[in-house]
Amino acid sequence: MTKLARRKFLKGAAAASALAAAPAYLKAQASAIKIGIPTVITGGYALLGSQVMRTCRLVKKMTDARGGVLGRPVEFLFQDTQGDPAICVRRTQELVERDNCRILSGVIVSSEAAAMLPKLESWNAVFLSHGNGDGRLTAELFVPRFFRANTSAPMGARALALYLRDAPQKKFMAIASDAAWGRSSNTAFEAQIKRVGKDLVDKIYAPVANKDYSPYITKILQSGVEGCYVALQGDEARAFYSQATQYKLSQRVQFFTEIVAQADIKVLGKDAIGLMGSSRYPLTYDIAQNRAFVDAFMAEYKEIPDWSDGEMYQALMILFAAIEKARSDEPMRIVAAMEDLEVTSVKGPIRMRKCDHQGENQGFVVRVGQHKGFAEPVGEIVKIYPREMTTPDCRSSSYST
Amino acid sequence: MSWRLALALVAGVALLVPFVVPQYSLTVIVSALIFSLFAMSLDLMVGYCRLYSFGHAAAYGLGAYCAALILTHLQVPLVIGIALAVLVTVAIAVPIAWICTRSTGVSFAMLTLAFAQLGYAMLFRFRELTGGSDGVVGIPRPPGPFGIDWFQGKTGYYYLVLACLLGSYLACRAIMRSNFGAVLAGIRENEAKTLSLGYNTRAYKTATVVLSYGVGGLAGALYAGFAGYASPELFFWLTSGHVLIMVVVGGAGTLVGPMLGALFFVFLEHQLSQVTDLWPLIFGSIFIAFVMFFPGGILGLLRRRHAAA
Amino acid sequence: MNFASFILAQCLGALSQAAVLFFIACGLTLIFGIMRIVNFAHGAIFMLGAYVGCTAAALSGSFVAALIVAPLAVGAIGMAFERVFLRPLYGRRDSGAHLLLTFGLAVVLSELVRIVWGAQPKSLATPEALLGIVMILEQPFPIYRLFLIGLGLAAGIALWQFLERTRAGLLIRAVSQNSEMVHALGTDVDLVRTAVFGFGCAMAALGGVLAAPLVTAFLGMGANVVIDAFVIVIIGGMGSFLGSIIGSVLVGFVQVFGAYYFQDLALALMYLLMLIVLVARPGGLLGKEE
Repeated sequence: MTKLARRKFLKGAAAASALAAAPAYLKAQASAIKIGIPTVITGGYALLGSQVMRTCRLVKKMTDARGGVLGRPVEFLFQDTQGDPAICVRRTQELVERDNCRILSGVIVSSEAAAMLPKLESWNAVFLSHGNGDGRLTAELFVPRFFRANTSAPMGARALALYLRDAPQKKFMAIASDAAWGRSSNTAFEAQIKRVGKDLVDKIYAPVANKDYSPYITKILQSGVEGCYVALQGDEARAFYSQATQYKLSQRVQFFTEIVAQADIKVLGKDAIGLMGSSRYPLTYDIAQNRAFVDAFMAEYKEIPDWSDGEMYQALMILFAAIEKARSDEPMRIVAAMEDLEVTSVKGPIRMRKCDHQGENQGFVVRVGQHKGFAEPVGEIVKIYPREMTTPDCRSSSYST
Repeated sequence: MSWRLALALVAGVALLVPFVVPQYSLTVIVSALIFSLFAMSLDLMVGYCRLYSFGHAAAYGLGAYCAALILTHLQVPLVIGIALAVLVTVAIAVPIAWICTRSTGVSFAMLTLAFAQLGYAMLFRFRELTGGSDGVVGIPRPPGPFGIDWFQGKTGYYYLVLACLLGSYLACRAIMRSNFGAVLAGIRENEAKTLSLGYNTRAYKTATVVLSYGVGGLAGALYAGFAGYASPELFFWLTSGHVLIMVVVGGAGTLVGPMLGALFFVFLEHQLSQVTDLWPLIFGSIFIAFVMFFPGGILGLLRRRHAAA
Repeated sequence: MNFASFILAQCLGALSQAAVLFFIACGLTLIFGIMRIVNFAHGAIFMLGAYVGCTAAALSGSFVAALIVAPLAVGAIGMAFERVFLRPLYGRRDSGAHLLLTFGLAVVLSELVRIVWGAQPKSLATPEALLGIVMILEQPFPIYRLFLIGLGLAAGIALWQFLERTRAGLLIRAVSQNSEMVHALGTDVDLVRTAVFGFGCAMAALGGVLAAPLVTAFLGMGANVVIDAFVIVIIGGMGSFLGSIIGSVLVGFVQVFGAYYFQDLALALMYLLMLIVLVARPGGLLGKEE
């Protein structure tokens, strides 16, 4: 392009953008509440990201139908982080700087969340976790602009340990993925299981994306344990259970999993029946809010909501409650409103406690089986533990009680 | 148009960029420039020496993690930290280069891959130091020396990266046009003959690989300072694959070509992923098209059009 | 469990892992031997085989159907790809072209799998006949894994004999050593190349179907396995069929025993092995120096 043509073009562009901005300025009063969702759309965790997005779309539909939040429509902006923390930070920066989007949620991987925490201040943003499990996010890595609505890995381990206190099994093994969340989970379980007087024979860390679990299965068989704690997710979990089923390991050892994922149960089919675990979202929890959510979800998607669907929904309900209490979508006002906020959602009553912004969730222990009303096996609630027992000490991943 | 004039024009435009584009675009541009430096460093091996490396992520990752750890633990000024990281990378690169240049062709490529994957695995082994899958978070940009701190902001950092890119380009170009480059050309065309002329071809190749790692390490160190974050993905073989694509798509053996390839790659990925989640499909198809129909890469395309015009 | 039964269980586990790896690696090394092409798409082809196998099994209710359909279908796709994309590039001097091409294919193929089958993983149930366990020295071992060992062994021997004893095998070995001469003697070398590429893809696809009951079919299983395949082929010697067998067994054992004894180093051990082999013998254990 010649210099002259370029100058003309720039002038025209400037004029056009000024004109375009005008109606936007006039519409400012009725503008949407923007929520940024930097999630995994392509890559290893794409399944979890697709669940996050579908729940957001459902929530938008439901919220718009009842007039929005503070009378304003809700707008979700999705960005693909590919599960890479560096890309996550970059994409979120764009959400903040280009789209002026300062409310963030829907991040999948704990290390992505950890990478974002130090930046929240300079972004003037608030970040609400729907599913990040690493205990350190509300402990060593705590920042005031971060809230965690979901059950953390230590909380999941805690519920299981409380259940195991009264269970017949005495000797346990733990196997986890060698990622931040897996390490947090295993460490928490070890501390908890010893507290309740049981024996943890060994901890196994399988490399991320491990394919062959036969050496670990052999190790578990050799150890003579009666129970095995499993902190594996997605591809790793399915590979482990498929191979363990071939060894008929579940006939000798009861598995207890930290995450009960419907997607995995669906694939494993009847091989999943009998699996016990700590559920981050108890599908069969019989309260009004949950029944309404499940009905709406299944009517919309013809599928059983998975754990991250339920957790995302609860997180959004908490977010909207905070926005309405603050009568604003300005980040620091949301932070102030969310502290000690009590909401009842699909998992029952939740309080976002002030000292470390961890949502106090009840603990649910489930066993996978056939349940009336569902075509696939699902996790049926076996025991519920009160919030005071399952939420760790303030700014910590451990429990003093 | 002479080379000097073209360079001056490009440099001039580059200097004005931060004043013309919005802040969030600057983030993408800085990333693209860092990748350009990274791609150019690989071209030294691939284009000038015909040594295809499948493990250049090692240089990038080494530079990034060295910078990350130095800046986080030693509180030295940013530029000193980056310089130190480059020195450490070069030091580590010497034995690696020496071992790899024992072989040529596919064996060389596989050895470089082995070292990169080893580096990746080591990150998890020394978890306390490197943070394992978490990586190193919160890398600072300490000011100094003499209280200089203009690089602490995004615009300032852009100029820092630009300076490093231009400086490295000029240095590499000078080296490749010197006697050293002439010997490399000889090795490239007919190594046996060059050897018989009395040149220690292995030493030349090793030197090229070390230089390549050094410049790649500089790119990695700049990245660590920019993102404030270093993670294991930097060492992963996919990163090596991407930078190799940038070099070949851009046009190997030209220094400028790979830079264009990097810019093309970063902007294409950025724009496409906003628009569709089918972007990897389009991406891969574009590469296949390049290989089939434009073997000279982007630079080759531009030169042909320029010649025809 | 005593030490003997433990070691035996681990060895059998390693061999079963080696068997699956062998199917992938032998295709990769054959392709390289014939065409000097480093097939980056081999992992994606393995994944495609797994998905096709799952669908075939779901539609027909038979594992055997999956074992037959997947390699045939994917082999055909491989041959088509070679014919359309790879063949025009044989004349090119620089090897960058085919690297990029197969890398591009890997990306495109992975995406196509995601588009066609979706993000939800697919299962392939272990066939009824292979579902049980046998007690080996009082420890359970899955029959399915024994089946894998048996199948891998049979395939390895069959292929080896094919390459050594038959005319077709001789032809393939000749082309991999000196394609110009073979061409001058009147053989359609292009056809041989297409056939071998298709066969290599078929073997990888077979590996995918065999792996599916162990790990389910999921996106990313290709990227996962392609690096292992490369390590095996490099260790064994690129282009050497026997090398791919030895490499598979070595890597299988290193992975299994490494995971058990050196948990922290498990990831690194395989690459250390590759480094050591390459430094000692740059062409791989049975390969030729390039």
